[in-house]
Amino acid sequence: MSTQHHNAPEAEPALRVKALEALLTEKGLIDPQALDILVDTYEKKVGPKNGAKVVARAWVDPAYKKRLLANGTTAIAELGISGMQGEDMVVVENTPAVHNLIVCTLCSCYPWPTLGLPPVWYKSAPYRSRAVSDPRGVLKEFGLEIPANVEIRVWDSSAEIRYMVLPERPKGTENMSEEQLAELITRDSMIGVAKVTLDSSAGSQA
Amino acid sequence: MLRAQDVERMVKTGGSTRRPEDGITPCFKPGDAVRTRNRNPLGHTRMARYARGKRGTIHHDHGVFVFPDTSAHGLGDKPQHLYSVRFEARELWGDTASAADAVYIDLWDDYLEPA
Repeated sequence: MSTQHHNAPEAEPALRVKALEALLTEKGLIDPQALDILVDTYEKKVGPKNGAKVVARAWVDPAYKKRLLANGTTAIAELGISGMQGEDMVVVENTPAVHNLIVCTLCSCYPWPTLGLPPVWYKSAPYRSRAVSDPRGVLKEFGLEIPANVEIRVWDSSAEIRYMVLPERPKGTENMSEEQLAELITRDSMIGVAKVTLDSSAGSQA
Repeated sequence: MLRAQDVERMVKTGGSTRRPEDGITPCFKPGDAVRTRNRNPLGHTRMARYARGKRGTIHHDHGVFVFPDTSAHGLGDKPQHLYSVRFEARELWGDTASAADAVYIDLWDDYLEPA
């Protein structure tokens, strides 16, 4: 925050959250230390780097990819990744003929262990309603034009299954190591609103 | 109440709503043509309104899961098969949608009838 806004009042949602936390703590309903650990976990430890590890492994190890597409939950757990909002995972594969896109039209269901917490736009009503009714228009706004002959499959994760996209491995990465590949794989490519390119990198995400 | 010392374990394991399949037979199998029931309950449901009364095809049987329409209201787990159902974009949105595209929705037995 710039110094110019130093004395500006806090935004209303922030104040409301503080008031709720204070009230729930006072009533003995939550342990504020537990909250701190949860926030720290999803801010620093669990995030799309986990998903990138899974994708990179699938790109270099055909047997792993087969297991991943057959049973996402157990194959992801092989890499030590599991937990809340990832209890039952399905991984869907992008190919030259099929492009997959993930949404939760009813709320904001998202695979936390592999991708972390959802971005704000993923939770917004416009994304949630238009991803199912106009996926090509939404993808165009993300800068992704899908050819008319490519099938778009939209996965509405409104039940208890959580989805993740296995993006296509870009050309020109044949000599890259698994670690180098993981660096290229972005959060957006695993939601399906972007492709992985040689220019994409996990650090450039908004 | 969730205590600080339990957070790590909870985050790592979560809590699946998958239930044992024993004795719970699926009403449908992959490839079956289905129609979603036009149910409009006052309470909680995961049957998205845009897909009510629409024709689809069973893509995959995920196994047995707790039924949210009852469990959310303390009316029991009512475990039943959950399917991935494929709907053609044109079935949901009409002829302006791409003929190539589809939406896959996870739906429980109680939401579906044979088409």
